[in-house]
Amino acid sequence: MTAAGSWERRLDAPRDVWAVFLQSRTRDPHIHVGDVHAPDAEMALVVAKENYARRDPCVSLWVVRAGEIHATTADAAEMFDPALDKSYRFGGSYRKQQQVYRSAWRLSHRDEDQ
Amino acid sequence: MAGEVAGPPDDPELLARFNPRVASGEQIEAGEWMPAEYRFEALRLIQMHANSEIMGALPEREWIPRAPTLARKMALTAKVQDEVGHAMLLYRVAETLGRSREEMFAELVEGRSRFHNVFHYPAETWADVAIIQVFVDGAAMQTQGALRSCSYAPYARVLKRICYEEDFHIQLGLDVWRALAEGTPRQRAMLQDALNRWWTPIIHFFGMPDRVSPHTEKMLAWHIKIKSNEELRQQFLRRFVPIILEYGLDVPDPGLRLVESEQRYVYTEPDWEELKRVGRNNGPKSAERLALRQAFYRQHAWVRDAVTRGAAA
Repeated sequence: MTAAGSWERRLDAPRDVWAVFLQSRTRDPHIHVGDVHAPDAEMALVVAKENYARRDPCVSLWVVRAGEIHATTADAAEMFDPALDKSYRFGGSYRKQQQVYRSAWRLSHRDEDQ
Repeated sequence: MAGEVAGPPDDPELLARFNPRVASGEQIEAGEWMPAEYRFEALRLIQMHANSEIMGALPEREWIPRAPTLARKMALTAKVQDEVGHAMLLYRVAETLGRSREEMFAELVEGRSRFHNVFHYPAETWADVAIIQVFVDGAAMQTQGALRSCSYAPYARVLKRICYEEDFHIQLGLDVWRALAEGTPRQRAMLQDALNRWWTPIIHFFGMPDRVSPHTEKMLAWHIKIKSNEELRQQFLRRFVPIILEYGLDVPDPGLRLVESEQRYVYTEPDWEELKRVGRNNGPKSAERLALRQAFYRQHAWVRDAVTRGAAA
């Protein structure tokens, strides 16, 4: 347990708990799907395969001791709130430009449409 | 129940922050501060759910060797494996609330903790398998579907996966149900008989209509309970009574009728004493199933031991 107000902590989990990360297709990232109990990494992978990869597609599994994972705390969640307007980071914020571009395109292709 | 929570009172300042957070639909992660009573109630709910999954595998597993075809045998095996897998997921979530998996397993096999009423009854014929897959899993789906918005985030995440698999069980069950309902007169009679035997336990499944008590209010405010028992039972009846009627089978309750204007079913009040008795592990199959679970737990001790020691070496 870390002091109150801390922005990061190590996950509190028994030593035999392993976090399982599953990759559905090679073009996808590994995603945390749950945990398993196992005495070592090899057994953790065996149990993970039985529990998390028996139906839907999977190309690769990762396991890591859950107690080795460091995470941001709930107290720190506000650091993810945008401090200022971040619309400039999104393509959708540039509508005006897109409208101008589209109408210009329509004008130049008017003859083809008819 | 609040009286069962021992220990010092909650920090009023933390509690004052916790309550509005949860009430507004925010979810709590493992390891975060929570009131002692919240922890107690969430653990009780999730542990009972975990117990029910692993005990629920037992009536169905009896039918794996006797399934009528290879396809049915494979599908039933997959379904039973899912249920045991759900128990694995749920015990892990329960563990994050402060009770070890070994402890919970010991409580289960020694009969010190509870599991759902429906798993205390026998599965006498192959038609019982259809009833369990459609109606028991269908009933569970109402409760679990609602709890996907539970305030304890690790439980909500696991329920997403569980509901996805339960949906497969219901589809599979409907296929077995349909085969029997469209089968020979003997098959139809077998299905009707199974439905008759399961009706009361299924109506019991959702529990007694809730009293409006401060306790229920608190569970609802904390989002440990999402809908009342009666709401869930009505939701179940609206979806599943039509299935019985579509196939020309009889609803085993002559008093059952739909109040069209309210979309509410009126049903004959079941014997709630039976539910209480069964819940205390005094059902027709309680002792036998617990003994079976305990026997397997002992029998497999050497496997656990070998795996653990192999890793230590």
